[in-house]
Amino acid sequence: MSADEAEATDETAGDDPGDAGDSPSADTDDSPSTAGGDTPLSAEVDAGTTHTLDGDAILRLRDLDAGYGDLQILSDVDLDVADGEYVTIVGPNGAGKSTVMKTVFGLTTYMNGTVEFEGESIHGLPPEQIIREGIGFVPQNDNVFPGLSVRENLEMGAYILDSVPEDQIEEIYDRFPILRERKEQKAGTLSGGQRQMVAMGRALMLDPDLLLLDEPSAGLAPDLVADMFDRIDRINDSGTAVLMVEQNAKEALRRCDRGYVLVNGENRYTDRGEVLLGDEDVRKDFLGG
Amino acid sequence: MGTTESSIVDSARARPGLLLVALLGGLLLVDLAAKLAGVDLGPIGGALSADRLGSNLWSGVVIGLVIGLAGIGLSMTYSILSFANFSHGDLLSTGAFTGWGVAFLIAGFGDVPLRALLTVGDAGSATPGDIGAHVLSTPLAILVGLLAAFAVTAVVALALDRAFYKPMRDRDGISILIASIGAALIVRYVIQFVYGSDRRGVTASVEASNLAFGPLGISVNAHDLTIAVAALGLMLAMHFMLQRTKLGTAMRAMADNKDLALVTGIPAERVVTATWIIGGGLAGASGYLYVLLRGTIQFDFGWLLLLLIFAAVILGGIGSVYGAIAGGLVIGIVFTTSTIWIPSDFNEAAAFAVMIVMLLLRPEGLFGGVSTA
Repeated sequence: MSADEAEATDETAGDDPGDAGDSPSADTDDSPSTAGGDTPLSAEVDAGTTHTLDGDAILRLRDLDAGYGDLQILSDVDLDVADGEYVTIVGPNGAGKSTVMKTVFGLTTYMNGTVEFEGESIHGLPPEQIIREGIGFVPQNDNVFPGLSVRENLEMGAYILDSVPEDQIEEIYDRFPILRERKEQKAGTLSGGQRQMVAMGRALMLDPDLLLLDEPSAGLAPDLVADMFDRIDRINDSGTAVLMVEQNAKEALRRCDRGYVLVNGENRYTDRGEVLLGDEDVRKDFLGG
Repeated sequence: MGTTESSIVDSARARPGLLLVALLGGLLLVDLAAKLAGVDLGPIGGALSADRLGSNLWSGVVIGLVIGLAGIGLSMTYSILSFANFSHGDLLSTGAFTGWGVAFLIAGFGDVPLRALLTVGDAGSATPGDIGAHVLSTPLAILVGLLAAFAVTAVVALALDRAFYKPMRDRDGISILIASIGAALIVRYVIQFVYGSDRRGVTASVEASNLAFGPLGISVNAHDLTIAVAALGLMLAMHFMLQRTKLGTAMRAMADNKDLALVTGIPAERVVTATWIIGGGLAGASGYLYVLLRGTIQFDFGWLLLLLIFAAVILGGIGSVYGAIAGGLVIGIVFTTSTIWIPSDFNEAAAFAVMIVMLLLRPEGLFGGVSTA
């Protein structure tokens, strides 16, 4: 799938551990010494394998089997996202990370298990109904309507409303000021980073409780990646829960509250992001060392 | 001095086809100028009055508008539903027969048996003269007929979708294309069964039906003018709908990217329904107008016209509404002006030749890559 393409542009998930992990953010506090300080602690406490939350979760997947046609990708996947939580899914190519998100939106072949949002099953609902329930989705590639203006792209995000929510559009312009400048411009003429903002803005039009982001850093120039992650942090800070699939695994785990490591369509590890980052097995097998 | 010359030579080397077409086009233009000037230079030149050229161009525009109007629906179903709809031509016939049935009903009510009116002159022995349908004598009948053509064809198109295309929505384009050929046959032979298979005249002749525009020095047939006004009006309405309404924006969004439209929350089936209503309705209206243009009707005229409509849509860049209109105009004008050089039996071939040449030079079509539903 398209995850392969994403890897080409992905610097931090490279094979060279020392260089890859630090070079994009050498000026931050993530120096080798700090990481070294974390490592002994994390190494003693191995990454967890309990994949569910004790408390309430707004998104709750249990024993989920899904795939495409006859091809099963996910087996027995459990996943929770609590209200306002920031969760990432990482794992090797073909692990089924994007499939989890598509299954939440009913875009895959459902086979078994439960998909619950805010306590009710959303399995079998049409996408426009799932959006109404409060989930926004930003797919990985081709996630804007190129022939529509920026403003029209945003308007389409609120299609199910009777009238265009002007105040929400203003809010999104405030969040992404460049979009206000370019509102009449066709989205197809924007840069990769600006398109990603349009796509996020569109998914935020109904002020969702949960935002699904599929590889938001894919295809972005390296210097824009940190900026994009900062924007996601701010979206999460304003109360929207985020479930993100990211090839840029180290950066994603550093930022998130909890991470899921998916392998061959199954849960492998689940824990707080920094614990996963510190776990020797996770580092070695899934984060390139 | 070398730069411009060498770049011309280079581009000619890179695209010898373009050079050839430019030469040929230039030759035709020189010939046309010579003909208009009345100069006779052996193979080129001859005599051609400006009036004839003007009337050729005008009738080309009128035919082009009808073909362009018909092409809008074909292009929309292609971009939004991802298949080439071969039953589109028979939707033209559907609109023409039902619309003219209604127009006859209003124009000849009371004077002519109902059966003859509703079957567009197939039953009974009513002649177009008896019924007297003409935009100058019975303008209301012509207008209501146009609206009826739109409405009935929209319903038929929607019914075909529910019966054949909706169950196949997730199949590949080729399967649905084949199904649409089947649907085309069904529609065509239902029309033949109901309305008969003979070609007959429809419009009455009215004296002084040419409207003269003194200052401009041209006179225009009242029906041609009606067609041009109606087609342009419908195209403008279409443009407004696409650009200014939420539904139109959703149509453009779906044409851009169906998967994204789905996860954005655009209710796909509602947009598809609207697409059939508008695309089918416009096909019906254009079929009705085509009969107004020709003055005759026959059960398979839409099918025979379909190839030209496809040519227009492909020429304009398949999937683009504006491309369909532009392609229709090009095809229409080539269709009529080519008779200056070649016998009118071959003008359809000329239209296709232009389409093929255009596609060789610009494979994506006139408006290709500009996805506008």
